[in-house]
Amino acid sequence: MKLDEAFRNHREKIVNRWVDYTLSTYKSSSFFIKEKDKFANPIGGNIREALDSLFGLLARNANPKEFVAPLEQIMLIRAIQEFTASVAVGPIHAVKHITREVLAKDKERCHLVQELYDFEFAVDLAVLAAFDLYMQCRERLYKVRIQEIKTGNYILTDSKCPTNLLKTNIQESIKAVESH
Amino acid sequence: MAVPKLEQLSKSVVQGPSLVTGAVPTKDWMDVPAIFKPGNYAYPAKQEKVEYLNSQKDLNFPNAREWSPEDDDWKLPEGWQDIILKGLKERLDKFRSLKIFMDCCVRCGACADKCHFFLGTGDPKNMPVLRAELLRSVYRNEFTIGGKILGKMAGGREMTVGVLKEWFMYSYQCTECRRCSVFCPYGIDTAEVTMMLRELLHLVGVGINWILEPASNSNRTGNHMGLQPHTFKDNVDFLAEDVENLTGIKINHSFNRKGAEFLFITPSADVFAEPGLYTAMGYLLLFEHIGLDYTWSTYASEGGNFGLFTNNELMKKLNGKMYAEAKRLGVKSIIGGECGHMWRVVHQYMDTMNGPADFLEVPKSPITGTTFNNAASTKMVHISEFTADLIKNNKLKLDKSRNSHVKATFHDSCNPARAMGLMDEPRYILDHVVDWVEMPENTIREKTFCCGSGTGLNTDEIMELRMRAGLPRANAVKHVIDKHDVNTLSTVCAIDRATLTSLMNYWNPGCNVAGVSELVGNALVMDGENRQELDEGLRTLV
Repeated sequence: MKLDEAFRNHREKIVNRWVDYTLSTYKSSSFFIKEKDKFANPIGGNIREALDSLFGLLARNANPKEFVAPLEQIMLIRAIQEFTASVAVGPIHAVKHITREVLAKDKERCHLVQELYDFEFAVDLAVLAAFDLYMQCRERLYKVRIQEIKTGNYILTDSKCPTNLLKTNIQESIKAVESH
Repeated sequence: MAVPKLEQLSKSVVQGPSLVTGAVPTKDWMDVPAIFKPGNYAYPAKQEKVEYLNSQKDLNFPNAREWSPEDDDWKLPEGWQDIILKGLKERLDKFRSLKIFMDCCVRCGACADKCHFFLGTGDPKNMPVLRAELLRSVYRNEFTIGGKILGKMAGGREMTVGVLKEWFMYSYQCTECRRCSVFCPYGIDTAEVTMMLRELLHLVGVGINWILEPASNSNRTGNHMGLQPHTFKDNVDFLAEDVENLTGIKINHSFNRKGAEFLFITPSADVFAEPGLYTAMGYLLLFEHIGLDYTWSTYASEGGNFGLFTNNELMKKLNGKMYAEAKRLGVKSIIGGECGHMWRVVHQYMDTMNGPADFLEVPKSPITGTTFNNAASTKMVHISEFTADLIKNNKLKLDKSRNSHVKATFHDSCNPARAMGLMDEPRYILDHVVDWVEMPENTIREKTFCCGSGTGLNTDEIMELRMRAGLPRANAVKHVIDKHDVNTLSTVCAIDRATLTSLMNYWNPGCNVAGVSELVGNALVMDGENRQELDEGLRTLV
């Protein structure tokens, strides 16, 4: 129960550092960290919201299935940005180190560092889930590309004018009819 | 147990085999080169398309060739720097606005965080102020005394291949949506800076295929799709047949009919690609409902104007075609469909390029008697203005319950909202035809976020870039989906209908995209109809 209390007391501090760390992977991190309006700052806002929610789940050892919603909120964004897979997922790990550091600095609770095994295992599960979600987002992106091609927008480029195609077909049909 | 310190993790993450450069810039922005790799640039224009455009009267598209942005050598013409600088000088003399925009920015930064490309990428060169600085730095170096003497100290820099590559990268990471301009205390239209960058790049043969091919199609057959007249007619006929199958109403439409009261012009995507087709079916039903005397044209068969994304000469020519056709047919005035940039061209540039259209009359609704004085010079009225006026005068029989399968929100398309102030008419229409809710205040009306793929960036090879740029819009849509169970994103722009569909498929799967006129068509109660149970309105498969 003491660990629960430590998580409650330090939640804001840990989450803030976790958010700052995650946003530091962007070139314009200071704006993403500073602006709190989710609509004026979608990357910062969504990452802050999702990490806060994820921390609550990790701290209370929730069912890993519950990790999916906040993780998806993050991975949808990071899967289409200029990150390699490891960098896209990497910041999820960081909460382990941040939590250890924060607890270690709290003289009254530094002994709790020894009890972080379950919490860190939950983070490991979250990282694995994040990899799966990263891949799902990539696949979704490719499907969007295919879908767009199927709906006919491709006709603007990379294809002959449809009327020309029609003409070829007609010429071929005429020849086919004549040869019979 | 050795626990790696956070700093070390951070270091390995940031310095890993990644493209991320880390939070703290280590170099001055001028020293960070633009690096092209698959997925971050749109394919260059095909040689034959550039050759074709260059062969046309009044158009100048030189240096047609095969090239790739990934190559070191872009095969620029001899003396390309002089061509660019001469081009810039010509434009500074010709467009007073450009000269002012170059001089008056105080770099206050009000625009910096307003760009959807910046918000989705975090790349500082996507801050509108810095994007404009890409051009302004060269302007300073060549055309200001301070820059000539002090060079880099005064924020100037020479025109080099590196600068040119940067121009190409960032002028095609701007959709000319003009959201930044709304926040600029000086009213600098950064979209026009992008337009100038693109114009200058075309002078040395640097352009993208997804713009130049539709533009050349439009010049040749009248529409982006390259549909010839009989195919265009067939497509509209098919849609009329579909309407008849669904509602039992026979549509009486016509093509190229001289003496019709109105010429109707809409983006060709509306008669060819989903989901625009349903919007076109909505137009057909609406005009049938009121018995409008109108004609389609198989020559002015495109509302869109990709000339706006290339240079002012091509924009003028493609815009002129619509008016030439109106003159040839002898119509009184023009009704324009749901299009984005067509309205920017008509509202902001048409009058000085091809206007005033004195041979036409100020549009007047034959049903309500309303004269659309806002279109007094261009003689072209927006379908939403026309429809809202019909509703206001109780001329339409509408049954809102026919849209009970829809819970909508409304995306203000950048150009109608910011370039012509069309914000209330579509909302008034929606109030009467469907249950709908607004997105958050800082993402609508004049502060609307772009779809992320306008100005000819709607091409699939840069899908990731488009998804990044569309994040601010998608994020606001997600909010109303979560809060109000919205299932349809309505809009009045053909590019939006195509691009928002992809955007939703990635960010918010299950959210449809529909034109406002489609929702009007769903709700219309037609005299003598034999309507089937249409669970999904005009989209129902029967």
